[in-house]
Amino acid sequence: MATEAAFVTLAIDVALIVVAGLCLLCGYRVVVGPTVPDRVVALDAIATNVVAIAVLFALKTGRGLFVTVSLVLAIIAFLSTVTVAKYVTEGDIITRRDEP
Amino acid sequence: MTTTIMRTTARVVVPIVLVLAISLFVQGHNLPGGGFIGGVLTVTAFTLVYVAYDLDYVEVGVLGRDVDDDVGMLDHRTVTTYRRMFTFGLLVVVASGLAAIVPGAQFLAQTYTYVHLPLFGEVELASAIIFDLGVYCVVVGGLLTIFSVVGNE
Repeated sequence: MATEAAFVTLAIDVALIVVAGLCLLCGYRVVVGPTVPDRVVALDAIATNVVAIAVLFALKTGRGLFVTVSLVLAIIAFLSTVTVAKYVTEGDIITRRDEP
Repeated sequence: MTTTIMRTTARVVVPIVLVLAISLFVQGHNLPGGGFIGGVLTVTAFTLVYVAYDLDYVEVGVLGRDVDDDVGMLDHRTVTTYRRMFTFGLLVVVASGLAAIVPGAQFLAQTYTYVHLPLFGEVELASAIIFDLGVYCVVVGGLLTIFSVVGNE
């Protein structure tokens, strides 16, 4: 059992480092671009990575609070990505009803 | 005009977001959560409906009422409701603070008790939930007014 727990701890640490590295790579894509959709996708990937970091941190520390954090962050990241995607494709985000 | 994929996703996601908002609101007195984040998540759910459909969808599609297209957004029926909700929330916050003075405690003092509910067993009932309800109404009313009016500019 002790070796299993040590293995899980090691796996979580390695995963945290990998996801942090992925955040940096996505940050490069945000800075360089070259188009707006590239940056939006990169920002969405960063948000997903931060969700992953929150869940891994919850596993590492055993505090359920970080699972709640990850849920809220995932929802807000989804909404922001959808909003920017609609802005890029249509220009208007929130509109009135189409005239019948 | 929004795609069918977005509308279907919104139909699935909005109830889940609302359930998370309610659970965060209810656990707020002794765990992470509370009126503010519950309100923000409720606003997120409504904004998802507004983005996937349109500003009149809640009124026309869900509640089955008719809206006046000529009237400005600030006098729109839903926005009037949001503004009333904002005022109601402010009143609840002030009243819950002042209510603590009546038995002789400090302003904004809170208390709690344990009640026995069927199915749930012992439940901690905190008076802070009234204050949280006020904060919730202020956040939902204020943010949705801003999103509706500014989004329609």
